[in-house]
Amino acid sequence: MSTDQHKKDNKERLLDNEPVGMTVQVVRVMGNGAFRQRLLEMGFVRGAKVTVLKNAPLQDPVEYMILGSHISLRHSEAAQVEVTDKDAEFCDMEDAFNGIVETTVAGVDPMADNVLRVVLIGNPNCGKTSLFNNVTGAKEKVGNYGGVTVDSKEGWFSIGGRKVQLVDLPGTYSLTEYSPEEMYVRTYIRDNHPDAILNIVDAGNLERNLYLTTQIMDMNIPMVVALNMWDELEKSGDHLDIEMMSRLLGARMVPMTAHNGHGVKEVLQAVMDAIDESEHQTQHHNVNYGPLIEDCLNELGTMCPDLDRYTVLKIIENDQHAIDLLNGQDNADEVKSHAAEMRQRIERDYNDDIASIISDLKYGFVRGALAEALTPNPERATGDTKPGYSLDRLLTNRWLALPILLVLMWLMFEVTFTLGAYPQEWIESGIAWFGDWIGNVMPEGILKDLIVDGIIGGVGGVLVFLPQILILFFFISLLEDSGYMARAAFIVDRIMHRVGLHGKSFIPYLIGFGCGVPAIMATRTLENRRDRLVTILTIPFMSCSARLPAYLLLVAAFFTANQGLILMSIYLVGILVAAITAIVMSKTILKHDKTQFVMELPPYRKPTARNATIHMWSKGKQYLQKMATIILAASIIVWALGYFPRHDGQTPQEQIENSYMGKMGKAIEPVVEPLGFNWQMGVSVLTGAAAKEIVVSTMGVLYTGETDADEESTTLKEKLQTATKPNGEHVFNPIVAYSFMLFILLYFPCIAALAAIKREAGWKWVAFEVIYTTGVAWLISFIFYQIATRL
Amino acid sequence: MTKSTLLQTIVVFGILAIALLYVLWRVVKTARGKGDCGCGCGKNCQCKKKTGKEF
Repeated sequence: MSTDQHKKDNKERLLDNEPVGMTVQVVRVMGNGAFRQRLLEMGFVRGAKVTVLKNAPLQDPVEYMILGSHISLRHSEAAQVEVTDKDAEFCDMEDAFNGIVETTVAGVDPMADNVLRVVLIGNPNCGKTSLFNNVTGAKEKVGNYGGVTVDSKEGWFSIGGRKVQLVDLPGTYSLTEYSPEEMYVRTYIRDNHPDAILNIVDAGNLERNLYLTTQIMDMNIPMVVALNMWDELEKSGDHLDIEMMSRLLGARMVPMTAHNGHGVKEVLQAVMDAIDESEHQTQHHNVNYGPLIEDCLNELGTMCPDLDRYTVLKIIENDQHAIDLLNGQDNADEVKSHAAEMRQRIERDYNDDIASIISDLKYGFVRGALAEALTPNPERATGDTKPGYSLDRLLTNRWLALPILLVLMWLMFEVTFTLGAYPQEWIESGIAWFGDWIGNVMPEGILKDLIVDGIIGGVGGVLVFLPQILILFFFISLLEDSGYMARAAFIVDRIMHRVGLHGKSFIPYLIGFGCGVPAIMATRTLENRRDRLVTILTIPFMSCSARLPAYLLLVAAFFTANQGLILMSIYLVGILVAAITAIVMSKTILKHDKTQFVMELPPYRKPTARNATIHMWSKGKQYLQKMATIILAASIIVWALGYFPRHDGQTPQEQIENSYMGKMGKAIEPVVEPLGFNWQMGVSVLTGAAAKEIVVSTMGVLYTGETDADEESTTLKEKLQTATKPNGEHVFNPIVAYSFMLFILLYFPCIAALAAIKREAGWKWVAFEVIYTTGVAWLISFIFYQIATRL
Repeated sequence: MTKSTLLQTIVVFGILAIALLYVLWRVVKTARGKGDCGCGCGKNCQCKKKTGKEF
């Protein structure tokens, strides 16, 4: 039945209006452009069954189940999907299976460039990075949500005495041009000519995952399909006839479970076999699109023999990047006009647009093959959700979801604070003992001052917060591995949407609580450049873990009750400032149309202790590496600036005030004084430009320098509590401490984050960010301090 | 100035010079977008690791 005929017979029904629990079939996706293409590729093709699962707690977006996947769409986007509840109308979908066609591919020497290169391609969250880590011994970050990998990662392995380079590429649903990471994968393959593609598919969600496989097949590069999470497929009771499936698709398929390494060796051996075979002229298998399209492909393929079948098909589909590849070719205009004629002919014949036709045919091909080879568990009722979603009854519940999200955040900070305090005390005592011991055994002199005041005072002041950093990352790892991150994005999407942000921005924001640099890179999953820019420019307001030592120090020193809540309030202020900034930006300098939100909600998985430990250890190692390098070097420089020039007969207090650092601090004191800061605090925030931990190490050095030689050794916390101004008043009190924390939270990010902004957005935005964030930090600290001191 | 004081001064200024050069090098390197392995910058760190598992 054609779409037009359907419209005549039925009143138009839209997915948006369907009630929760309803299962309907897709008639067509309306509109045009990239978002429509994305919906088609995610399975919203004619005849596909969609079940409305639930509204998000704030009523938008809505969770749908299609092809066994849980997808989140906003109401406005669901209104683009026309549906019907007449079950039998589209039962001809499987007739689209025309089998495969064979293409003769010339032999290539895999060692022509002296490197055997295999690339990993697959849908987001299908286990590519788990396999990559397993095979190369790397410890790249993995997580149970799409978009963890945004760049290529390279590693090596050996098999049968041969060394192979393995490249992990970002997860992608297809090889079109919907988002930057899709283009990245497509360009990477075109420019780097891999010797083989290892296509990782989620064995429990073959229909959607194999769509990408059909595109890779057309690239005529040796390919092996690894059926990952095979253990879950077996557990579900479904049965897949791998041999038949391989034959039907014309691709080697090997079962595997990446996280425990089962089947990995067999997969790699299959890849090597495929590479070896490619040395000779071979028959490559492609999707058969039926006589009309196959004729067009052959005809156009003859006109541009240098292009692969995938690119030729894309030219017929009017894909701009594929058409651009024709530039410079003598017959480019002829090919373009010919392709346009073919497109019209195909659209006329199928009575639909080319994007829908190709998606329908590809899905038809996959469904046809699965109908033959996959036997679903007969005991599972149709429409049942897959295991791994039962927690959603609680975690995305209309009334409980937001309170649970807030409680989880509070719990994370409270446990970080309270539990971390015990080992922190032990480390503090150890450092104090070490400082005393060095002080006693070394003779008086400049070297002793450097070691005790500069190195131990500076590095030691930051080192004590290692336990809290480990605990915070342990929690983040649990949230990432369980699949809760995607739920958090689903829950808050409406709020994000209100402030002009995309729901997917939530994930870079959460990563930003760890470190701003990978968070800025994670914005690559956002399709719209303006969305990306707004997200990039507001990520620095998400307080990174490097700022945590400063908060922990000040909260412990000046707030005796509700320490977890005080800490959480700082993070919430950051989120609030980011939201206000996003509203202003998206209505002024970065004004843009609303971006659509389509996101997959992965099944919950039990976080493994191994993964959480690896993540925690890797972050702890990075923290210690920073201590031993940049923080050590910065502490030495800060000490020297506070130590020289030397004046005889001065007290330590006078000495440091007359030092280079003291003069520098005094020069900026008028700027920071209205915020309640003294010059030491002003200097500390300046040195924090290199790395935010240096704020604390600078204070460690500056306040250690103030200690009289005969004074009993105390911790930095105690020194801050007792520090006094020349008039005898305390330097710090809870108001000054909070004002200082606000400034540290909001002022310009470290140099590594600025470099990341430069890479993703350019110098202009770096300059904007430095001025804007520092201006906001000053203003908010000023308002807070002035109001609080007058209350 | 005693011999010990002179020696201490030389050592301290040597350490200071190394620290200054290191910070300068790190700042330039980071600004040019070449992060270290394990620095958390998300750059391709594993490319330096030429040995992986053997199968």
